[in-house]
Amino acid sequence: MFEVEWSRYSSDLLDGLLNTLLYTALGFTGAALLGLVLALMRTSDSWLLRVPASVYTELFKNIPLIVIIYMGYYGLAGDPIGLNLDVLQAAVLSLAVFYAAYLSEIFRAALVGVHSGQREAAQALGLSRTTTFGSVIYPQGVRLALAGTNTMAVDMLKSSSLLVIISAGELFQVGKSASSATFRTMEVMIVIAAIYFAMCYPLSQGLLWLERRMRAGAPLSPRRARRLRKARAMLAGDAS
Amino acid sequence: MSVEAGMAHSTAAPAGDRPLVEVQGLVKSFDGRVVLDNVDLRVWPGKILSVIGQSGGGKTTLMRCVNLLERPDRGRIDIAGETVFSGTKVVCRDLARLRQSVGMVFQRFHLFPHLTAVENVMLAPMKARRVSEDEALENAVRLLRRVHLAHRGLAFPEQMSGGEQQRVAIARALALQPKVLLFDEPTSALDPESTREVLRVMRELADDGMTMVIVTHEVPFARRVSDWVVFVDGGVIVEQGPPAEVLDRPTEARTRAFLTAFDEPAA
Repeated sequence: MFEVEWSRYSSDLLDGLLNTLLYTALGFTGAALLGLVLALMRTSDSWLLRVPASVYTELFKNIPLIVIIYMGYYGLAGDPIGLNLDVLQAAVLSLAVFYAAYLSEIFRAALVGVHSGQREAAQALGLSRTTTFGSVIYPQGVRLALAGTNTMAVDMLKSSSLLVIISAGELFQVGKSASSATFRTMEVMIVIAAIYFAMCYPLSQGLLWLERRMRAGAPLSPRRARRLRKARAMLAGDAS
Repeated sequence: MSVEAGMAHSTAAPAGDRPLVEVQGLVKSFDGRVVLDNVDLRVWPGKILSVIGQSGGGKTTLMRCVNLLERPDRGRIDIAGETVFSGTKVVCRDLARLRQSVGMVFQRFHLFPHLTAVENVMLAPMKARRVSEDEALENAVRLLRRVHLAHRGLAFPEQMSGGEQQRVAIARALALQPKVLLFDEPTSALDPESTREVLRVMRELADDGMTMVIVTHEVPFARRVSDWVVFVDGGVIVEQGPPAEVLDRPTEARTRAFLTAFDEPAA
């Protein structure tokens, strides 16, 4: 069944795979940062912050990603804007602005989901607003947001294949070229699908594992791990 | 009534002492409904003041006004000789520092669920006071021992009983070495066994000379530990005095009605 000479395509496939991972990693970082800002705006007391963030979210949630990618690369470059982004910039920008809308919804629900008593308890302990957010609200929000964020990360990795329309040189495009050169479309696509699966499955399982670890309260930073070890040593004599 | 009682109480306080918390003419309303109407309150160093009364009578609001978790409409609040609220304005420049000197224990504990017991106690000293990790940890372990919970130091809140959580919350509040501790119905969410554990710790704190304000439904407990009892109803202080007077020989009909409704056993 397998007749394609895969050795001829292995370096192309590797490049495509690395490109896919690069677009996803950068796009997701951008989407997470922008999504967090949007979520904070949407939970703000001021409608001046709330309204624009809501409009943004609704807008980008209801436009197809492929249109945004096309706009990002060809649309911005033409009149009247004339902003020439290279493929990497356009790819990362479109993935970030599109997924930020979804992530902001997930983050907003997570922030709202942290019990209001937590903020009060932090306030009553004289913690500053920044510390209250950083040490009390954010860590609890992350736990609540992780499941939804996980889904979005895997979704982005798969949807980065749409970047084929701006010839971004990612995995799917490599597959497409290979299939038109060999006319063995099914064989090529099975291989491409297997590679996507081999990336997405460990990613989602890894994030699930992380979610379980966090839910169990395990330390994720070396500093906290060290602190807990010290506490354990000091409390060892008190074990009942 | 309130002036007289205040004077009677001031004679009980050591000469030259000033109240640690002084509330004068406090008014607070929510959406036009007056919850506190011209309330005066004094808490003396080393003394324990219990606030009793019906739910919705303004007890909790009074307490939350003291550390400005709730912003009063009007009145004056002095903490440790410093005016923190006057007229209609917060005049305290550093609210965080004020709150560090006024510890608070909530009805529903509000421990930080993502942190172990010992980390709950360490957080505020490290973040708000910049205490070193080792010092904060040592202090937290000492406080957990004080509330008889050192063996649960590495447990997470969800793994603990309500009574254990509330005792960790007390240790957390003590970690900032507050001048006064406010308890907002600390045992109302607890079963009898947990209630006993928490009241025991509170009694030990009282014996150590901690200044405390306790909003409570535990009338027998209030009688045993309090130096002064305030009965609040309908947003005003109806009656106040030493527990033997307010709880055993109340002069006001409303106080009597409240205590009868509680139907507490004679001893």
